Amino acid sequence: MKKLLKHLSPLAPDDSGACSVLYELGGIVVICDAGGCAGNVCGFDEPRWHTKRSALFSAGLRDMDAILGRDDRLVEKLCKVCTQVEGEFAAIVGTPVPAVIATDYKALGRMTEKRAGLPCITIETDGTKLYDYGEELAYLKVFRQFAAEKYDVKKGRLGVLGATPLNTGLCRADRLKEKLTSDRWTEIVCFGLDSGLEDIKRASECEEILVISPSGLKTAELLKERFGTPYEVGFPGLYAPAEQAAESMNGKRVLVVHQQFAANELRSHFSGCQVDCATWFALDKRYAGEQDFRIDGEETFIEKIAGRGYDVIFGDPDFKRMLRGFGGEFVDFPHYAVSAAMNE
Amino acid sequence: MNKAYYITAAELSARGFDDLPDELVSTRHMIYSSPATLDFNSPGAKGFGVKRAGLVIPGSVMLLISPGCCGRNTALLNELGYNEKFFYLLLDDTDIVTGRYLSKIPQACEELCGELDYTPTAIMLCCTCVDALLGTDMERVCRSVTERTGVASVPAYMYALTREKRIPPMGLARKSIYSLLEPQKRISNECAIMGFFSALEDGCEIYPLLKSAGIRKIHEIGRCKTFEEYKEISRANFSLVLNSEARYAAQDMQERLGMPFIELTRLYRIDKIRNMYRLLGQAIGAELEDSGYYDEARAKIDSFIAKHGHLNIAVGECVDADPFELALALNEYGFNVREIYGTVGERNFVFIKKLAEVSPETRIYSNLSPTMMNYERDIPLDCAVGNDALYYHRDIPGVGFNDEAQPFGYRGVVLLMRELDRAISENRQIAEVGK
Repeated sequence: MKKLLKHLSPLAPDDSGACSVLYELGGIVVICDAGGCAGNVCGFDEPRWHTKRSALFSAGLRDMDAILGRDDRLVEKLCKVCTQVEGEFAAIVGTPVPAVIATDYKALGRMTEKRAGLPCITIETDGTKLYDYGEELAYLKVFRQFAAEKYDVKKGRLGVLGATPLNTGLCRADRLKEKLTSDRWTEIVCFGLDSGLEDIKRASECEEILVISPSGLKTAELLKERFGTPYEVGFPGLYAPAEQAAESMNGKRVLVVHQQFAANELRSHFSGCQVDCATWFALDKRYAGEQDFRIDGEETFIEKIAGRGYDVIFGDPDFKRMLRGFGGEFVDFPHYAVSAAMNE
Repeated sequence: MNKAYYITAAELSARGFDDLPDELVSTRHMIYSSPATLDFNSPGAKGFGVKRAGLVIPGSVMLLISPGCCGRNTALLNELGYNEKFFYLLLDDTDIVTGRYLSKIPQACEELCGELDYTPTAIMLCCTCVDALLGTDMERVCRSVTERTGVASVPAYMYALTREKRIPPMGLARKSIYSLLEPQKRISNECAIMGFFSALEDGCEIYPLLKSAGIRKIHEIGRCKTFEEYKEISRANFSLVLNSEARYAAQDMQERLGMPFIELTRLYRIDKIRNMYRLLGQAIGAELEDSGYYDEARAKIDSFIAKHGHLNIAVGECVDADPFELALALNEYGFNVREIYGTVGERNFVFIKKLAEVSPETRIYSNLSPTMMNYERDIPLDCAVGNDALYYHRDIPGVGFNDEAQPFGYRGVVLLMRELDRAISENRQIAEVGK
């Protein structure tokens, strides 16, 4: 059964992805849930929760709020919180509850803007999709709304899209910046990681955008269209032990499992090996090898591995439970969106 | 921006329970999932939420039927050895709209049974807000699962939407875990202890006190290693309910199994504990001689005060106690509880009224208030009790006092004093070494 997980715990969901993008932007973020979704985000998918303060709240919906569609109460509570904590904008992130009752997010956003006097964006996640989908929606909404003005391009300024803990396993941007700083790139901005809304407003100052996860692609295209900013894809800051293991291999048939751009980056470190990449998340064909594939369930993953005869698999340690029948070598390549293991 | 909201015990008592300020009523404001209290919004992440609680039946497994977001943090329980017991049937948006997943649950259960190298004693079907809103008849789904797999199936309702209802999710979870018990001949000198998912701390006086009253066997679900031991619980002549959330389960057992129950409360005021044991003795027709335990607890408190003085204390709610009752007890013993982080309810308002008399200036905060983002200590404190209080005050000694083994009665008081003594003494030693 495709949607039955017998070995893995569920992967990071779309609402976590949306919150991950919004976390450091200085907004008041409301997860439109009863409490459990916010707990999953704050207690598991958001490692910054314990080190960086953010105005991230649960709407605390109750059954009668949902049954009677009491959006006015939600807006009232949101307006109240706007008087209690500072926020440059409001954001409402969807979960299964509003999905079941078909909440009109557009109306909710308008009501909030009118009553709270703050710009409000709504992210229509429903908890059934994966984190990269939520990230993609959130990036698009935020950049569409706030990266509106055209500034002069600053030479040497590189903008990074996709720099979330879920993609990188990092809570700070230092390592990414260190890897990217060069003669050409002297000023690195990792949108949403050690950087706030002002950098997004001034996104047009970037000479180029580096997209480190497929979740940032649509926004990169938006910036290209809006400001003519070119973009590249890549992934700085690979998990060092995996990188070293890749470089030491030769003559092997290898599978790398991660988010697509991290997997692609690791592939470039092999020589003399036949390397395929696979991902549980978005797979953009433009950046995929011929044998690369998207994993849509435990069973198909196991079948694919058995059918292709890989010697080595690079993947998150949590996959080991699923691959008990795999006789080859397994090399850890942690992915926060899978096991919540940091890349440190 | 606003400082963290608080109200003094005197002010709150004067307002009365019917006029609670909005900041103390979680349905009237956004909920702050403070790092201090993650277990409110995500009880699955710490301690016993519905997911872990559902698995206290020995040999059981759980199928979580939900969108991926609901089961995400279950991975935390893997560290406790639960990774072989959880399975997930993920729902997509079409499932939610059409309800087609319901017919797939029996097949999913069959597949998961095939994955195991043993036959589970029960399959717990954990459902979430989605099924709460769709009005799914989980009892019927469970019957279908049992027909298909031959294994008993029980619902576990993880309905966060109904948290403030008369029977909250943890109340339903308690009913579920006792629901596989069947009527059998009850044995007069056996009793069951209900209320917690793990067992009482081994040194609790309730065991020898009950033994002295002629009770030869005490059943506790947290001590059951096998399904057979679990099934023996229904032999008990009566049950003691130590947590009010288990009342619904006890009522169900009274109806189905004919097992009466007596409700006790976890208290930290030793005079009240003595009174409670006196009443328990009367109810079971025995005199419970507890003076030795009382004296031990009293001596522990006195020696602690002699050693450390009348400390200024902060009490949180992530603790094995009602924070208001505990604060009242500590104040009555001569300490100064300056701040409490807790959830005010009808049941514990009585403690706030008493607290207003002995310590009117004690500040009461709600961990869930968004203003707690701005919390900063502005009064002197010497130590903290509770994981949340420890989070707010990382620079002072304290104890989480929120362990698996459940403290109760005089033993709880002794353990608290012992742990606090250790924490404060260690802190002093470190400070002296630092000098």
